[in-house]
Amino acid sequence: MNFGEMFMSAMASLLANKLRSFLTMLGILIGVASIISIVAVGNGGKRAVVNALSNGQTTNTIQILPKELVVPGLPQPGQVLSVSQADLDIAQQFSGVERVDYTITGQTNVTAGTHTINASIDAGPDYLNTLAQFQVIKGHMFQASDVVAARPVVLLSNTLAGKLFGSGNPVGGIVTIGGTPFQVIGVTASQQVNLFSLFLGSDYAYMPATTCQNLFPTWGITEMDVQTRPGVNQDELANHIVTALNVNAGDANAFETSTGFLTTVESTINRVTSILTLVIGAIAGIALLVGGVGVMNIMLVSVTERTQEIGIRMSLGATRTAILLQFLMESVMITAIGGLVGILLGTGVGVAVSAITHVPTFVQWPVVVFSFLFSAVIGVVCGLYPANKAARLNPIDALRYE
Amino acid sequence: MIVLRGITKRYRAGEETISVLRGIDLTIEDGEFVSIMGPSGSGKSTLMHILGCLDLPTGGSYELDGMEVAKRSKRELAELRSQYIGFVFQNFHLLPRMTALRNVELPMMYAGVPRTKRRQRATELLYEVGLGDRVRHLPTALSGGQKQRVAIARALANSPRLLLADEPTGALDQATGSEIMTLFSDLHQSGMTIVLITHDPSVAAYAKRTIVLVDGSIVGEEVRE
Repeated sequence: MNFGEMFMSAMASLLANKLRSFLTMLGILIGVASIISIVAVGNGGKRAVVNALSNGQTTNTIQILPKELVVPGLPQPGQVLSVSQADLDIAQQFSGVERVDYTITGQTNVTAGTHTINASIDAGPDYLNTLAQFQVIKGHMFQASDVVAARPVVLLSNTLAGKLFGSGNPVGGIVTIGGTPFQVIGVTASQQVNLFSLFLGSDYAYMPATTCQNLFPTWGITEMDVQTRPGVNQDELANHIVTALNVNAGDANAFETSTGFLTTVESTINRVTSILTLVIGAIAGIALLVGGVGVMNIMLVSVTERTQEIGIRMSLGATRTAILLQFLMESVMITAIGGLVGILLGTGVGVAVSAITHVPTFVQWPVVVFSFLFSAVIGVVCGLYPANKAARLNPIDALRYE
Repeated sequence: MIVLRGITKRYRAGEETISVLRGIDLTIEDGEFVSIMGPSGSGKSTLMHILGCLDLPTGGSYELDGMEVAKRSKRELAELRSQYIGFVFQNFHLLPRMTALRNVELPMMYAGVPRTKRRQRATELLYEVGLGDRVRHLPTALSGGQKQRVAIARALANSPRLLLADEPTGALDQATGSEIMTLFSDLHQSGMTIVLITHDPSVAAYAKRTIVLVDGSIVGEEVRE
């Protein structure tokens, strides 16, 4: 009796009790589906955040941020919350530095006609590699002269422009921000997956940093962008600047670079996802355990029901091994098919979550393979006792069993 | 050839030990048609189980085709059943979810006969027992006589040296029963060794030799011409 025949025979036996087989599979199916979907969503979300953050990484720019902004929580006494003009001057003094820019982030109402929307305001220089995500799709970016003159010009995100101007052309229109009329000079693509959209939503406006400083003097500078000269060791320079800034602030932990920022964010996300994975994993593990017990229970019932069949098979020359493998095969097939359907279902849930939240999901092959093998192993472990019980039956007693 | 020498079988039932077979000496030549008769409780079923390698005797020796069977492992017994023994039961014992063809294929499957060869032989056997048109039927769609024919075809699948039948007509009416017995006679004519267990003298009469078993011992033997 070869493997293919055992497979077909086990399949026939499962199909003879379709509902029972399906219900028995359910525990394994749900367990595997939850593992697959959680890991897919978790990994996808992590990737999305890390990708959004590292998009801004360019070769000739060092980003420096106050550390307090990176690790949310209660500010420590004396903790630096924003970048000051003095900090910018310190950075400017280093010989490898070409130019120092800064960006400001805040939240306020933007009004056009009768529409008022609470939006995030990003303010910065006319050109920054780190703002590559601000893809201008209509109109144009402001000029260096606009920054110098602190002109009231603004670019709106696509979604914000849509909310304020409807289907009309926003470029050339006027919006009021903080009581000042601004001319809309461009529209940027609202990327659905970036750091800003994840934390602040997709309604944002971008204006010259100088204009923003005049209008909202209390908003702090959230980020320093240091453009380096060619041939400079960036990591070394970044460390020197951060050290100098920390010395000035009197706090060894006041500032850090975006590389450090990324690492911190990533490790925070990792911590959160690993806790989540652990919790869900424990729940899925319980589902699998309960599912496995269900499989064992049904296999025991099946062995009892088919006692006479076992006796007949033995009288026809079936060895104990053949009987053992027959029942083991059935149990493994229940859990393996349950695992397979669970993988499909879990992937489907991941895709659905992705479609609803716009966060891409990421199904990892090792997780899929592991889930499948694990469910098959459950089949072996939980089928072993019932199958062994079947194989150890005395053929005479089994034949007489009614 | 089958040689039984001083076969005993005892069971322990709590404190008591029950002797079911008390020293059976019996020789069955190749091609013989032997019936074993006896009232219920005479030990004839136990004797059949031992002859069919389903059970081992407590004492004595059982030689099947020159091999000593009495001291075999369970695995070896399964192999002996597969290669040397064909069983026909009173209640047919067909597997209900398998077609007639599949039922006949089953012993060949356990013997490792390849699929196509197996299917071909099973079809031939079903034709031989007169069920050529019932190959794809499930047991539930067959009459009692037809079921027993499938069971006989299945018992013959691996060309056994010994065909063991336990009350093969017990669940059949008179007419069907005699049809089945005619089939056994035909098999005997073609050289098959048959041992038939029955309590019915008219069924036993189909055999050339009848052994009478009472209380675990052979008490009589009748040979017909």
